[in-house]
Amino acid sequence: MKEAAGKEKREEMKEEDEENEEETLEELEGFDDFTLASSWERFISEIEAVCRQWLADGPKNLLKKGADCLGSPNNLYKVKSELKYGMKSYCMEYFFEISGSGKVVEWSIDLHNLQLSFGVKEFLLIAPISASGVVLDAPEASKLLSAVAIALSNCGSIWPAFVPVHDPSREAYIGIQNMGTDYTRRFEADRIGSQVPIKLMHLEGLYELFISKFVFSMVDFSASLFKVHFTMKLTYRTPPYDDDDGIQGGESEITESDGNSEVDNHSKTQWDDDCPWSEWYTAEDPIKGFELIAIWSSRIVENSLEMAELENASCHDAEKWLLLPILTPNSNADSKDKMTSFASQLHLLVNALNVSFEAQFMEDFISVEKASSDNLKSTPIPPPTVLDRVLKDLFNEGEKISNYSKSEYQNSRAIKGAPFESLFAQFCLHSLWFGSCNIRAIATLWIEFVREVRWCWEESQPLPSMLTNGSIDLSTCLIHQKLQMLAICIDKKVMVDKDLHKSSGGCEEGLQFKGYPSQVSESSDIDEKCDSSRQEAHHGSKINKSASDLKSKSLLKSTKIESPAQVRRGSAGVVGSMMLLNSYQRMHAPDTQDAPIMTEDMHEERLQAVEAFGNSFSFSAQLEKDVLSSDMSAFKAANPDAVFEDFIRWHSPGDWERDENEDDDKLRVEGYDWPPQGRLSQRMSEGGNSWRQLWNVSPALPASEQKPLLDPNREGEKILHYLETLRPHQLLEQMVCTAFKASADNLSQTSFGDLQQMRTKIEQLYLTMASILKHLQANHLKDKGELIDDLKRLCLVFEHVEQLLILAASLHRKLLSAPRLSKAIFADYYNFYLPRMGTSSVGNADEKEFNVRQPVRSSERQVVANMFPPPTANQSWRKVLSMGNLFNGHEPIYREIIFSLYDNFGEGQYGTSGPRSNHREIETHRMYICGTSNDLQAALSVTSCD
Amino acid sequence: MDNRPEFDYLFKLLLIGDSGVGKSSLLLRFTSDTFEELSPTIGVDFKVKMVTIGGKKLKLAIWDTAGQERFRTLTSSYYRGAQGVIMVYDVTRRETFTNLKDIWAKEVDLYSTNQDCIKMLVGNKVDKESERVVTKKEGIDFARESGCLFLECSAKTRVNVEQCFEELVLKILDTPSLLAEGSSSVKKNIFKQKPPQNDAATSGCC
Ligand SMILES: Nc1nc2c(ncn2[C@@H]2O[C@H](COP(=O)(O)OP(=O)(O)OP(=O)(O)O)[C@@H](O)[C@H]2O)c(=O)[nH]1
Ligand SMILES: [Mg+2]
Repeated sequence: MKEAAGKEKREEMKEEDEENEEETLEELEGFDDFTLASSWERFISEIEAVCRQWLADGPKNLLKKGADCLGSPNNLYKVKSELKYGMKSYCMEYFFEISGSGKVVEWSIDLHNLQLSFGVKEFLLIAPISASGVVLDAPEASKLLSAVAIALSNCGSIWPAFVPVHDPSREAYIGIQNMGTDYTRRFEADRIGSQVPIKLMHLEGLYELFISKFVFSMVDFSASLFKVHFTMKLTYRTPPYDDDDGIQGGESEITESDGNSEVDNHSKTQWDDDCPWSEWYTAEDPIKGFELIAIWSSRIVENSLEMAELENASCHDAEKWLLLPILTPNSNADSKDKMTSFASQLHLLVNALNVSFEAQFMEDFISVEKASSDNLKSTPIPPPTVLDRVLKDLFNEGEKISNYSKSEYQNSRAIKGAPFESLFAQFCLHSLWFGSCNIRAIATLWIEFVREVRWCWEESQPLPSMLTNGSIDLSTCLIHQKLQMLAICIDKKVMVDKDLHKSSGGCEEGLQFKGYPSQVSESSDIDEKCDSSRQEAHHGSKINKSASDLKSKSLLKSTKIESPAQVRRGSAGVVGSMMLLNSYQRMHAPDTQDAPIMTEDMHEERLQAVEAFGNSFSFSAQLEKDVLSSDMSAFKAANPDAVFEDFIRWHSPGDWERDENEDDDKLRVEGYDWPPQGRLSQRMSEGGNSWRQLWNVSPALPASEQKPLLDPNREGEKILHYLETLRPHQLLEQMVCTAFKASADNLSQTSFGDLQQMRTKIEQLYLTMASILKHLQANHLKDKGELIDDLKRLCLVFEHVEQLLILAASLHRKLLSAPRLSKAIFADYYNFYLPRMGTSSVGNADEKEFNVRQPVRSSERQVVANMFPPPTANQSWRKVLSMGNLFNGHEPIYREIIFSLYDNFGEGQYGTSGPRSNHREIETHRMYICGTSNDLQAALSVTSCD
Repeated sequence: MDNRPEFDYLFKLLLIGDSGVGKSSLLLRFTSDTFEELSPTIGVDFKVKMVTIGGKKLKLAIWDTAGQERFRTLTSSYYRGAQGVIMVYDVTRRETFTNLKDIWAKEVDLYSTNQDCIKMLVGNKVDKESERVVTKKEGIDFARESGCLFLECSAKTRVNVEQCFEELVLKILDTPSLLAEGSSSVKKNIFKQKPPQNDAATSGCC
């Protein structure tokens, strides 16, 4: 039926060629009045004028004049012009390439549909403009085409021109191309949208269809003698992943406040179960599957049998494989229920920050009387069961951490937040997912959190997920520093309690801050029992460490030479073989107090005090003086007969200068040199030396009896006071910083293989976060509105990186054994996605789809083939296979083939099979066929000698 | 317009290095151009100096820390917010040089909260040429390795002392992020990328 229609049309077109102008006009008179004659002519000359202009301009100038580019990978551009004929408007478009090599690349993915269908490069397309979907029927289309053909031939152009016929979904076209004086090429495309005849489902039948296009005109030839060029492209789609069968119904419920949503959620396995974020949420797999495109490059087929064989050919025989990931469309990007992700929750947290300025205390957000606005009162708080679960998770005993886990990303530290997986960081992550992360939910959680912390403090229970030996890292947020300090205070408190318990009644009772209370009484005796392991463990200064060099042999001897005049107290052991200057005794290192630790606000206070001194000539901070004085007192107690010089020899050996040549007249007593030789350095011996002054006023007191440099009871209580009275916005500022950091730290643990771009992107994200978040927790906030806007933009940036990362993870796990391929596909996607990242929300509506196909190397084919497991009995039952070229039992979802026939026109109709002469070989027939077994499109181009 | 601050930028600088390498002496030489015996620093010392460098009026707050190990945990807090760190060693004592590599440089990385903070390596006491054990080349190599500025100087003879502070400050003036911090004007919005404040008002009057 279609063939018949084609023949008819061709005849029609002949009739209406330029020489038959008058006839055409007459025909047209039928449905318009007599003025039409001139309007038809005007229409043609209008087309002609436009074409002449375009021809004269040439592609380069047209580009300058602002031709539209049709997507970036292809260099196809178009210009258009609107024309009027009678009541109808037409749009004429000229499509052209800029830097094309002149050859149409076979199966190039970015060909325009018409280029692919008809094997043309540049072309004209003319169609009626209609808002109401007015379409041309066959005669109208022919008339229109003939008008264009006349115009084109008038200006000597050889552009092919096309006109759509019927409604657009049918993709039917007719076209014509004037190829110089001798030849004309005619085009025709149509579609069978349903009930494709069985014959046309198979390659053999399609081949015969093609043959039939010319065989009737060359009766004396049998089909077997034709050398038909054939090329084929098959597209396969991976079957759906098994674990995807149930679509995540639980997702929207995660944030819901009912306690069992988590249970539902975990009952089925998700693709991202072992990804770091799955602890908090389940992401939809961004990669639904893959398309495999297998290409059989051009070969010559001589009969139908060969075609039938080709239909059995394995995919592995195809010359070229390309792989394209099928991405989950971000369809719900604009709707209110955006995808749940860290970014979405951070956005909510930023909203909470915005509200936090409204109240003085966190309690105010919960108490009914004080809630400032009505809509605040109505914001939901998760039920107690959920609260309990979160608290249990935060404060559960068990894993004691030995170190805060460090991010492999250097810039993570640039954000002033709590370290990853520390108590406050965990609190912040929980807050993100606690209810809808509104201020009331946060307030509820915080108040209970602080209550738990107080309980730990009162009961001297170690804080979970906190180090006790650590110093305070000032690059973290203040709440973390405070919790860190509290953890240390609790630790010290426990020590003191133990100590009191153990040595009750002993004279060494009191505050003791070294970690070794049980040994204090021993060391207060003369030091025989001093064992080296104890020395090792002592983490004081290096002075103490050098004492461990002592051999046990010399220890025994030491008793003989010691005769302390006063009671020695608070010794941590002797210092090497050092002797005191003025008394024939060994020098003892004292137990010392730990240098006090300070949180940033304490430093701040000190600095302010210091700066108040202004340009004072010699300022020394009181605290350090206290430490030095404490050391002096302890040294005096441990060495009752010591002088200032002895202290310097121990504490600042650099300031004790020895003469090397005075070795001879030393009194040697059983291996000990006495008296020690040397003198104080000049700076130590100056008159107004502040060290000596301090020495003179420091009483002899062992560390255990000194006023503590850090009072754990007092400091701990102060910290709880801080936590209990923290201003909401101060809490929220720190939470925002920590939540951003912890979310990024969580995500960045994802394994995505060796993707440099991803790594760089994450590192950049940290930097961006740091530069915006630094305006929080500052002494004076910058404009609040501006800050909130910045933070919201930061959420978008975060969202982009998060989505990209999830894609990288998905890609990585799917192509685990083909790392090169997954890297290449990611790079393609990255380049595609990058320009979109800066602009707007993820998944914009007018986004072009990602369609870069990555060539598969032969070594990677097996990995790709494994993604097509043979269908289960159940699956194959569902589908009727009808196309052939099965790949592991899967039918292609799309088949495209091109037949073409060449002829040597110069030597008459049918060329010889002899050696090639210098005559031009012309593609006389070309047919492009695409589709499936129930949707077939065909496009035919025929070149003929007129 | 009238209540313009009396300086364009406030920079915080920090002196670190082993005890006795001459940090306090360098600072004294820079701020009062004298040299005298000073007690070893207890904890930290602090001096302010107003200077005009590169046509800008600058207030330098210079923190002189104690090299004594006992004070180290306390001094770590002074790294915070410093735009410049001067690492001093004594060219006549090798261990003061190796300690910079092994201990001090690591402390800077650990405690400095400023990503772009400028580091400067200074070899002091070059007047004692006969006792020198660390060569200039070693200093240069280390500076290159760790991305520092480098100078050799003497607090005693004042050779290069002025230059030492000057070069450091010039480098800070060259680093936009540090400049922004030290600036006496308000912070900027990174999304809007306003051009940095033009300091045309400050003329190089001296
Ligand atoms: N010859 C010479 N001696 C110097 C120089 N600079 C400092 N000194 C001496 O070196 C010793 C230590 O100097 P300080 O300035 O106190 O050293 P510091 O680095 O501040 O030491 P701490 O405060 O303990 O960290 C003093 O005796 C100074 O006189 C110098 O350039 N040449
Ligand atoms: Mg000093």
